Formats: sequence, structure tokens, C-alpha cells
Amino acid sequence: MTAALKRLGGSLIVLAVVLALNFFLFRVMPGDPLTSIVDPRFSPEAKAQLASQWGLDKPLSEQFVVYIREMLSFRFGLSMMTGAPVWDELKKRVPNTVALLLPALVLSASLGLWLGVKAALNRGSAIERVVLLTGAVSFSFPSFFVQILLLMCFAYFWRLFPLSGTTSIPPPSGGMAVLDYIWHLALPLCSLVIMGFGGFALYIRNMMVKALGEDYVLMARARGLPFRRVVWNHAFRSILPPVLTILLLSLPGVVSGAVVTETVFSMNGVGRFLLEATNSHDYPAAGAAFFSLALLTVGCNLLADAVYILVDPRVRREGSRE
Amino acid sequence: MRERSDRDVIAVERMSVTYMSGGKAVHAVKNCSFCVPKGEIVGLVGESGSGKSSALMAIPGLPPSGTLTSGEIYCRGVNLAILTEDDLSAWRWRRIAIVPQGAMNSFTPHLTIERHITEVLSHHLKIPKKTGRERAAELLSAAGLDSRVMTRYPHELSGGQKQRAALALALACEPDFLLADEPTTALDVITQKEVLETIVSIVRERGMGLLLVTHDLPLAAGMCDTLIVMKDGEIAESGPARQVSKDPRHPYTRLLIRAIREMDVAR
Amino acid sequence: MRFAMRHWISAAAFVLLAAIAALGPGPLGLKEGIVAPPYSKPNWLDRSTAPSVELHVSSSGDAEETIFWDYSPPLRVSFTGVLDEDGLIRWTRPGGGFILSRTPGEVDLDARDIPFKRALDISPFENMPSVIFPERGEYALSLDGSGDVRMRIEGGRWGILGTDHRGRDIAALFVQGLRVSLIVGVAATLIATLLGMSFGLLSGYAGGFTDAFIMRAADVLLSIPTLPILMVLAGIWGKGLWNLVMILSIFSWMGTARTVRAMTLSLRGASWVEGLRAIGAGRNYILCRHLVPETLPLLLANVALGVPGAILAEAGLSFLGLSDPRLPSWGRMLHDAHTFGAFTSGAWWSILPAGAGISMICLIFLDIGRKLEEMADPRLAAETRHKVIEEAEA
Repeated sequence: MTAALKRLGGSLIVLAVVLALNFFLFRVMPGDPLTSIVDPRFSPEAKAQLASQWGLDKPLSEQFVVYIREMLSFRFGLSMMTGAPVWDELKKRVPNTVALLLPALVLSASLGLWLGVKAALNRGSAIERVVLLTGAVSFSFPSFFVQILLLMCFAYFWRLFPLSGTTSIPPPSGGMAVLDYIWHLALPLCSLVIMGFGGFALYIRNMMVKALGEDYVLMARARGLPFRRVVWNHAFRSILPPVLTILLLSLPGVVSGAVVTETVFSMNGVGRFLLEATNSHDYPAAGAAFFSLALLTVGCNLLADAVYILVDPRVRREGSRE
Repeated sequence: MRERSDRDVIAVERMSVTYMSGGKAVHAVKNCSFCVPKGEIVGLVGESGSGKSSALMAIPGLPPSGTLTSGEIYCRGVNLAILTEDDLSAWRWRRIAIVPQGAMNSFTPHLTIERHITEVLSHHLKIPKKTGRERAAELLSAAGLDSRVMTRYPHELSGGQKQRAALALALACEPDFLLADEPTTALDVITQKEVLETIVSIVRERGMGLLLVTHDLPLAAGMCDTLIVMKDGEIAESGPARQVSKDPRHPYTRLLIRAIREMDVAR
Repeated sequence: MRFAMRHWISAAAFVLLAAIAALGPGPLGLKEGIVAPPYSKPNWLDRSTAPSVELHVSSSGDAEETIFWDYSPPLRVSFTGVLDEDGLIRWTRPGGGFILSRTPGEVDLDARDIPFKRALDISPFENMPSVIFPERGEYALSLDGSGDVRMRIEGGRWGILGTDHRGRDIAALFVQGLRVSLIVGVAATLIATLLGMSFGLLSGYAGGFTDAFIMRAADVLLSIPTLPILMVLAGIWGKGLWNLVMILSIFSWMGTARTVRAMTLSLRGASWVEGLRAIGAGRNYILCRHLVPETLPLLLANVALGVPGAILAEAGLSFLGLSDPRLPSWGRMLHDAHTFGAFTSGAWWSILPAGAGISMICLIFLDIGRKLEEMADPRLAAETRHKVIEEAEA
């Protein structure tokens, strides 16, 4: 229990640091945000009015209080580019990012899991070679390169998929809208799975190879249990805690990857929102996007700990031995 | 020597366990023949590395990985050595169960002791979970354990408890033969004695055959009906326990016995 | 110690790439800047397309240059240079030649210019490159009298790797990008490793509050999604090469610090360190003379294994447009290719070299790092995934 509390405290510290970074980093950006987005021909009065609209005329400490309030209530203030509430824009984009990342993670994890176990069971087989190769590829190929290649092959040379966007313009209606959405999602999703499953498969293979050499797996065989049961209920189940940890800890990286993927495929997601906002010094928007990504990461870390405690009896029943 | 077709015996004939090392074939077990009749306790004695554990694990078809087994292993008149992994699974635990080496982590860490026992019961004997739980409690108490141990995970048990639980698990399907591989090595002297006594009394009571692998010759001599002494993968000497320990014919056995006496004197 | 063929290849490739990066594009005969029309194909790709060549005639050098033309007409033809009073440039075609210019002074003629066409008596609507190169055969540019004239023929292909969206030689950009990748990758990892080593040693040796603080800080940094924070920092600190190095190293010391801390803790308890303390060795002495050398071999492997991460991060930032646009790097090349429609032009040659370069150099560093790690600590290597990979490949 104390361990769980400790982790929770750690996560809160991370969030606090992210919040503070978010505030100070964006406020020390070179170039006064007003000069970069407001026409210099504006009168000083108009500028002052704009400054007060975003609260830039108040002392830093007061700005900080306002900022924290805005962040924790998920209002995020007004965008400096559009003047609209950031949350309105973010609200539209979060589902797109989740629709990309969640299936990508599920697919690459299940593919990696299946291939990793297969490879561990058949040492020296073609499957093992594939796992080792894709593992090396996922650690050394830049994702955007693979994505551009896919885009060029399947969207330019063979026009099977759209070159960019989240939906067709104008968007079709009814059931076609769903199909259109999936059609646009297919290529980015595939690219994430291609880049993602190799790493998982390699980890799972290595842990599985180790697990299969354990005494308890030999003894499970000695008990005459069916092969599948030995592999899944004994060997695989015993490596489940670290597998889950790796899976969930890789989420921050996956979230980071959303920035690149959404840029390559010009999708309307939080990642590209962050990039656009950073490039245009729109710091309420950039701050909100950064904060949402950080929140997602911290949430995943907490989830990883919770799941670990759930699946590993050694951690769960700590102290019950006395 | 009993007949290989005898129903109540494990007869091992000319068994070799071979592995490759540096391009040469090395025999962990070399051309060994022995038998374990039901209702008897056979001790397999030898120093560490003499191949006794490999011989034991090779009987249910589980020799160390990377090795080849040759020879014949008869149980109830069937040659186990030529059976496939699938066919063997009907023999494992149902007929021949193993009490693993004390130092081994033989329990799957994320399963409770109860789960281990009900798992084999439901697979081999098709006993439903509820009845299985009652059986598990009986088995554990027969092995000298409180039934509270049932819901514990392996890491929550002490070494002696674990060894007793392993015995209960081995008895679950009422096998004809028990193969015990240094069952007490990792335990302290007192617990060692207690656990061994439990094993022997249960085996005697139920009329099972026991192959007891150990490096402790006097201990084996005191408990076993038959003794087999192994050296460098080969059987150096075998015969009735009393005869082997009192009147060893092989120089190696003599050496072993003398070494132990000297140790006793030194103590 | 067994060195597989692969390790020798990796080492050789590394030396070769480092040499290329050190030389730069100039000594390799590659021209920087705009050299040919945008998205020219590589020379070997399409033999029927006109190549990009330059003919140079002068009174001090060759007075005549010949060229055998076996292609469709080029995209552009232009002439630059000087012509003296008595000078005259002549163009000889298989069907007979004509005089291109005899106007003294500076020569700056383009085949698209109407006055130039007029002077040669060609209809303004005609495509002049196809008048200059009407068919397959031997052509010659010659200079009578004195002068110095260059004829630039711009076809649809250039060099061994073609050109990018601005007409720059991709081979030259590739070499410059290699230099940037190596500098950023190695420098950032070295700084990060030094930071990691200092923090790790401090943490492991000092213990107590210092230890808790440093490890807590590492945890926090590890929990922040990397790319977004790097983007924000690159936006704030500017996009220069060394800013990038600093940003990358600040966010990659944590792993090393954890490893070094763990090693220091295990070494601190080791009997030989106890022995040193017993004979009166001071803390700093033990730290500098024993613990640092002890952890050094592993750190070297750590550097090699960390470089791919830094290179990929740099490439990612450049790809997102968060690097100095004047600095040609591999990520920038891919950024340009993506932004300026390389694939709607079908110019795959502007994409492949940069991407392949990044992947190749990362694979090389991973391979070398793996081997170094194994050499530094065989026991540790046996536990990591690398060993398993080797078993399978053997």
C-alpha cells in the first residue's frame, strides 16, 4: 500500500513539474507573443487591450495562479491564433489521436505478443528471424521515413489510400463517413503497427526464452499438462507483469510518435496541434496540447503500476508472509 | 532383475543421456540399466555431476535440454522412450510423478498451491474444482501441512513447507511411482529428516515405488531397499541396500563410505 | 573474444562514414548549392533523359568541346561568360551548325529568351533546346578568337543521387547530413553520458538526500513525453546545431545515471573497495582512481548504444521543421521532401538516401555498442537481449 501511495506521489510530482515547465517555458519563448501574432501597426492602446485579454499585463505570479486554475479545470484559455477557446479545438482533436493510437497499440501489442511467443518456442526458425529483424528495425529506423515510404508506395504509386487528411473533403455522409474515416486511418495505423510490433515481439521473445528455461515450466511439463497450457498458463502468465509494464511504459513514446505520424499524414490530432501551436508561438494552445500529452503519459505510468500490482502476486501480497 | 513386461515396475534398460560438447559426444548417463519395482524404495547415489539427476529426469522424457536419450524405459510394459510428447503426458504425473530438487523453484510463481493441485486433478482425473479443493486439503494434510497453505503463493512458503507441498502435489493423481530428486537438499538437517520420513511413510503406506536420488549414502542406506551407486554416468554398483553399505564391492563405493566415516570422525 | 564478420563490416562502415563526414562534399567532387533543375533524376536511373552537363570553352583552354547526344532535348540551355572583340561562339550540329553569338562583352543567354531566338532567326514559339539538340549525334561548341564561355545544359538528371526540390545535389546534402548526424549523435550522447556518469557516481556514492533528489529528478524526466518537450525547447532556445545537442543531452542522461548508480552501489559494497577504505584511501581517491575506471568500459558501450537514440531524436526534430533550415541534415531532407511534394513528383530518390542513411548509421552504432558492451562485461551482456540475438544469428 505504501508503495502504491509512493508511486501516486511521484506521479503528482511529475504533473507539478510539467505544469511549472509548461508555464515558464512558454513564457520565456523568444519574441513577445504579441509582436509575433499581432500586426505591428496596431495602436499601443489596442495592443494593451489584447494583452489584458490574455492576462499578459498582470504580474507573473498572478498569471501563474490563473494558469493553474485554467489548466486544472481543463479550460486552457483562448488560442492566440483564433481567439477561440483552446479546449474547443482540442476536444475535436483528442478523439482522432485516440482513434489512431489505441488500435495501433492494441494491434502491435497483440501481433508482437503472438510473434514473440512463437519465436521463443521455435528457436532458429523463420519466425524468430523475422522477430529479430523487425526488432532491430524498430530500434533504428525513423518512423517518419517508414511512413513516407508507405505513403509514397500506397498513396502515390498505387493510389490505394489517400495522401493526407483525416476525412475526405467534403466529408461523405452516413455510413460512408465511417468507411472514409477508416480509409484515411488505415495507412497511419499500419505504419505505427509496423514500427511498433517488432520491439514488443523482441522483448516478449527474450523474456519468453528465459521463462521457458525456468524450473517451474519443466515441472509443469512433468505434470503432463497440455503444451498450450504450459506455454500460456505457466510460462507466459509468469512474464505478464513485465510485459504489461513494458507495454504501458511505451505509451509515452507512442504518444510522442503521434506528433510525427499526424504530421506525415496531415491528420487533425493533438500532436499536429502541438506542432502548429509551437511554430506559431500560440502558447495557450501549445501548453494545452503539451499538458494533455503529459497527462496521458502520467496516467499510463500509474496504470502500469496498478496493473503490475494486480497481476504479480509477489507484489500484491507483500508483507502478508509474516 | 524383474521382467520388463511386469506391470508393477519401471525398468530402465541401457539408457544413455548424451550431449554434445566441443564437437564431441559426452555421456551424462552411460548405458545404465536398473529397475524400480512398485512397493520398493530404490536409492540412486553418487557425487554431484555423476548423472543421477539426468537419469531420473530422463525417465518421464524430460532430460536436460540439448541432450539425447537412448535406450529403453519400460513402465507397465510400455516403452516410454519411443512415445511422443503427447502420449507421454498421459504417463506423467498419472503414473510417474516427480518430487523435485529442493532448491528448484518448481512452483509457478503466480499460482496458489491449491491451483497447482486442482490443475493436475482436473486435467488427469477430470475432478471438478470444488471436489478438487477438498482433495487438495486432504493431500496437504497428508504431507503434514495446514490447509491454510492452500491459498498461499509459492513465495509465501518456507523451504520445508514448499517441499511438503511439492510432495502433496506429486501424490495428487495417486501415481504408481515417485521419482524424488534430492528432495531435501536445500533444507536444514532437522527439516530434511522430517520431510524424508513423511515421503517414505507415505510411499510405504500406499505401496508406491520410489526412486530416491541423493548424494547422501548413509541416509539412502537407512531408508532404501535397493541401492544403486553411480559414478561418471555409469552404474558402479547395485544391490540390496544393506549389502552395498556393509560390504561394498566396488572401490568407488568403498571410497564413498570411507569418506563419510572420516567426516563423522572429524565431527 | 569472437568477432563475427558483421562486426568487421560495422567497424569498416563506421570508419568509412566518419572519413566521408570529415572530408565533406567538396573534396569528394560534389557541388553544394543549386546545380540542376528541381527533382532531377539520378544519372543511372533513366538513360534516355538528357543529363545535366556543362561545356566550357576558352581561349586559354580548349577552344572546342564536343558532346555526343543520345537523348531527348534538355530542359534548359544557357550560356554565360565573356566574349572579346574578335570572339565568336559556334554550335555545330550533325545537320550543319550556326553561330550562337558574336556580340562582344558579357555573355548571358538563355534559350528561353525571345531576343536570343530572334537573333538566331527562330520562331519565338519554338522550343529552342530542341533546335539546339534536334537529333542523336555529335555536337560541338567552339570558340573562335578569344573569350571564356560556359554552356550549361540542364537535363532531367544529375549526379549519382539526383537533386532535391531546389535543385541541390542530394549526394552533397547526404554528406553534409551525415556530418550533422554524427556531430549531434556523438556530441549529445557524450555530454549525456558525462552528465549521467557524474550524477550516477554522486548519487551512488553520496547516498542520502542527494541520491533521493537525483533519482527523483531522473524519474520525473523519464516520465515526461520526450518529443513534445524537445519541440517546445527547440522552439524556445532556437534551432541551432549546438542548441539541439544541449537539448538532447539534457533529456538523455537518466538511463546512464541509473546504471552507474547501481554499479557504484554494488562496487561500494565490494570487498576490494572495503579493503581500500581499510587501508585509509579517501573517498575522492577511491572515486577517481578506482570507481571511474571500473565503470568506464561500460560507459563506452553506453555511448555507442545511446547514439542511435540521439540521431533519431535529431532527425525527428528536423523532420518536424524544428532545426536550422540552413543546416542540411537528414531529417531536414525528409522534411523538405515531405513538405515540397517529393512524392507528388514521384521523386523517391530525394527520400531514400536520407532515410537509409539514418537507419544505417543507427544499425552500425547498435552493432558496435552491443559488441563493446559484451567486451566490457560479458556477464551483463549475457543477460541482455543482445546476447540472445547473437545466439540466434550464429
